[in-house]
Formats: sequence, C-alpha cells, structure tokens
Amino acid sequence: MAAPRVKPPSSTSPWAWLRVLYAVLALTVFAFPGGMVDWLDERNASGWLSGPLALARGIDAASAAVGVKGVGEWLRGRFATFIGDADT
Amino acid sequence: MLFPTIDFGLFFAFSFILVWGLNPYNTVKKYVLLALSLAFYASWNWRFLFLLLASGAISYVVGLYVDASAQRPFRRLALGAGVALDLAILAYFKYLDFFIAQALNLAHMLGFDLPLGFVNVTLPVAISFLTFHAISYVVDVYRGRIPASRSPLDILLYVSFFPHLVAGPIVRAHEFLPQLASPRRAGDFSFGENMLLILGGLFKKMVIANYLAVRFVDPVFTDPSQFSRFDLIMAVYAYAIQIYADFSAYTDIAIGVAALLGYRFPQNFNQPYRALGIGDFWRRWHMTLSRWLRDYLYIPLGGNRHGALATTRNLMLTMVLGGLWHGANWTFLIWGAMHGVALVLDHAWRRSAAFARWGEGRIVRVVDWALTFNFVCLTWLFFRAPSLDAVGQFLGGVWTDNGAASTMPMVVLPLIACGALTQIAPSRARAAIGVVLDNRGALASAAFGFVLLYAIIVMAPSTAAPFIYFQF
Repeated sequence: MAAPRVKPPSSTSPWAWLRVLYAVLALTVFAFPGGMVDWLDERNASGWLSGPLALARGIDAASAAVGVKGVGEWLRGRFATFIGDADT
Repeated sequence: MLFPTIDFGLFFAFSFILVWGLNPYNTVKKYVLLALSLAFYASWNWRFLFLLLASGAISYVVGLYVDASAQRPFRRLALGAGVALDLAILAYFKYLDFFIAQALNLAHMLGFDLPLGFVNVTLPVAISFLTFHAISYVVDVYRGRIPASRSPLDILLYVSFFPHLVAGPIVRAHEFLPQLASPRRAGDFSFGENMLLILGGLFKKMVIANYLAVRFVDPVFTDPSQFSRFDLIMAVYAYAIQIYADFSAYTDIAIGVAALLGYRFPQNFNQPYRALGIGDFWRRWHMTLSRWLRDYLYIPLGGNRHGALATTRNLMLTMVLGGLWHGANWTFLIWGAMHGVALVLDHAWRRSAAFARWGEGRIVRVVDWALTFNFVCLTWLFFRAPSLDAVGQFLGGVWTDNGAASTMPMVVLPLIACGALTQIAPSRARAAIGVVLDNRGALASAAFGFVLLYAIIVMAPSTAAPFIYFQF
C-alpha cells in the first residue's frame, strides 16, 4: 500500500515562498510606484513596454489617490533632511 | 544588472517561478538556469559570453582528461595545461597592460626603448571569480575529491551560476556539483532566514555602504588635500566599514538568492573586525577566498611542511598573489605584502612561549584586537587609494593636517556604529528569527519582509555607489 502523501508545511513549500516574494514586491511597487514608472519609461523608447507602463501609471495614480505614495515620499524627504542629505 | 535594482528584482521573480516550476525536471531546469545565468552575464556585455563558454569548455575537457589519465605525469600535464590556460586568459585581460607598463618603465630607467604597446582591452566583469571556479574544478578532479563530470551542462552551470558569478562567494566544485545531481528540496532551507539575509544585505549596501561612500569616503579619497587630519583618519575607518558592508552585502544577497533557488553556498564573512590576530582575520574575512588561496596555492607551494623559512616564503607568496588578484596595481601588491608580513609575525607570536603564557589574558586579547583592527584599517588605505602617490598624499595630509577644518558629515558616526553593531550582534539571531517567521506562515513573513524593505527604501540615498568587488 502506498504511503499517504503528506503535504509539507507552508514554510517549506516554494509556492508559499512565491506568494511571500510576490506580495512583498507588489506592496513595495504600490508604496513607491515612482521607481517602477521611471524604470519602464526609460526602457520604452520603442513603445514595446506601453502596456506595463500604463499599468504602472495606474498603480501610481491609485497609490497617490489613497495617500500611500505621498507617505513614502514624505518619509524619504524627512529622513534625508534628518541626516542632512536633503540635496540627494 | 546589480542586485539592489528593479532589473534584478524582476529577473529574480521570473527566475524563481521557472526554477521551482521545472524542479521535477532536473535537466530541463539546469538548462534554464544556464540560460538565465548567460542572460544575467550578457546584461553587462554580451561580447564576453564567449569567455564564460570557453572557461566552461576548458574545464570540462581538462577534467575528463585528468580523470581518464591513469599515468600520473600525464594527469599532471593535463592539469598544468588547464590551469595555465585559465590563468593566461586572466593575465591577458587583467594584467597584460600592467606588466607592459612595468617593462616600459624599467627599460626607460635603463636608457632604452622597448617596442611594446598597450593592448587596452576592456576588463570583463567577473573574470577573476570565473578563473577561481574553473581552477577549483580541475584541481578537485585531479585530487580525486570529485569525479570528472560527464555533463558539460553541469560544468557550464557551475562556472556561470548567476548568484555567485560576478563577485562570489567562491563556491568550490565539490561543494556545488553534487547539488546539481537531483531536484532540490525547499524543505532543506529556511525561507525566513534567507529572506532576512537578503534584506540585511540590502540594508548594508543601500544604506550603510552607499551613504559612507557618497557622503564621505569618495570625496576624501578623491582629493585628500582638502581634508583635515581628523577627517582623513575617520575616512579610513569609514572605508573599513564601507567595504565590509558593501562586499558582505553582495555575498549575503548571493547566498540568500541561491538558497531560495535551492542551492547552498558557503558562508563568506564571520564578523571579521572581531578578529584577534591577522590569521583570525583571514578566517573571518572573504572566507571562501582565504580557503581557496590556502587549498589551491599555499598548500601546493608546500604550506608549513618544510620549515620556518619555507613557510614564510609560502605565506608571503600567497598573500602577494592574493593582493595582486584584486587588481593590477602596486597598491594591491603592497596591501597583500603587508598582510603577508603580518601573517608571518602572527604565526611566530602564536607559537611563542610568551603567547603560551600570556596569550589568553584579557589585556593581551584587547591589545591583540586593537592592533589587528587598526592594522587592517591601515592596509585598507592602500587598498582604496588609486595609486602609491595618492597614498603618500593621504599620509602627508595626516602628518600636516592640510590646515583644513573638519567637514565630516554627522551621519558618518551613526553609520560606523551600525557597521560596528553587525560585528557584535549574536550570530544566531538571524536563524532564530527565521525559524519564527517560518512557523508564523506566509502572511507574517510577507508583512515582516515588506516593513523591512519599506524602511530600507525610505533610508536609502538617491545616489548609489557601485559594488566595490565588481572591479575585481
């Protein structure tokens, strides 16, 4: 008789790892959407990234609308001022 | 494609799905990993892909020949030819212009001209690490530590695997090749611990190393004559923290990324600035390089088997060549020689009757630590300065004070303190937190990971310095 298959705990499954990784990346993009928009914009000279760029701009707008983008920018600015690095 | 960039974040997210999705089909997965590694390398300069392929091909053929040769002289000949080919490629790209310059200088001093010209070739990214891996494989086969691989795919993947490709850690053939034999098990790794390793690496690089470089160390080393004695001395200490944060960050991220793909890399740093003695320092700093130099250079030279004089010669040769490996410049050579002399003295001290009597005393240990740390910092001056003239200018400024007022930004001291904390933090803390995260489940890990990454991005400066070890 074959042994019953035992599902590994979630922490040892790569698909659980995948959920965590993608969640962290997605949340970070939502918190700081400007970086992704700039990154896509720089590489979109021939227009082949128009779709992802439109999506990133949508995320940017949504993040700004709920105030998440503003909080990230404000915190970065405050930290830079705090350590005397406002010009960078 | 640097680690702390959007490019690499997307590349890794894509690679992760592919690698684990193909995990049951090990051969297909290895082909995909090889393709990903070649794409990673090509993102710098695709023209040098041939180097990667040539290095893998040389290692594969030499390994097979060494393994098949029953007669010892032929095995040795094949090994010598393989190692010489690897070193010739390295010498051409990295050292030829340096040696031509020395020959021209010497000829000029002796009053005649040599018909030599510089080759002016671009230094390919990762060539030094590539050479280390290639030599490790053929020597391990020669020593019977591993059988020659019948799979060119495995050898190509070993030399080009993207997490270690550019700046290490140096993973030896017998540590990596057996891992390619079967599908990987995620259960062999702690996700939480490796996520923390990667995020810790991002903090060390993006916050500590970048701020120290951009705000203080780079300006001071660019023109030391504009800075006070205090600033010059602090810049050396700041560079000691910067290079540790920078290089250990790269290898921490590499080790974490490899683990999340199911491959184990050796540890590369173990709180090196806690070292008591230079020998101890090299057991804690760039540990994979130290072990490589010991196993593939120092021991073949004779190690400590032929008396004190031969041991001294072998230590000096190993450290001078180790210094020269970092770059074709007298500054690196002198850096290596200083460490060589210090290692010889350290060996003598630890074998002395005085050490046996007082070596374990608290005061001697404190003095041992202070001497070691300050000596290592002094040698970093040679490592960081672009030329011996610049070292002279720097030390001249320390002597005369340059008549300048201190302009060290306030942020430097907290950053140095942060760097110091990494040296005294309990080494098991990361593993313990990792276990807690693993047990709490995906939601807790995602929340924890996001909060840490958010904090790092808030603190990181807009201007980034390149990884120091990329140039090697």
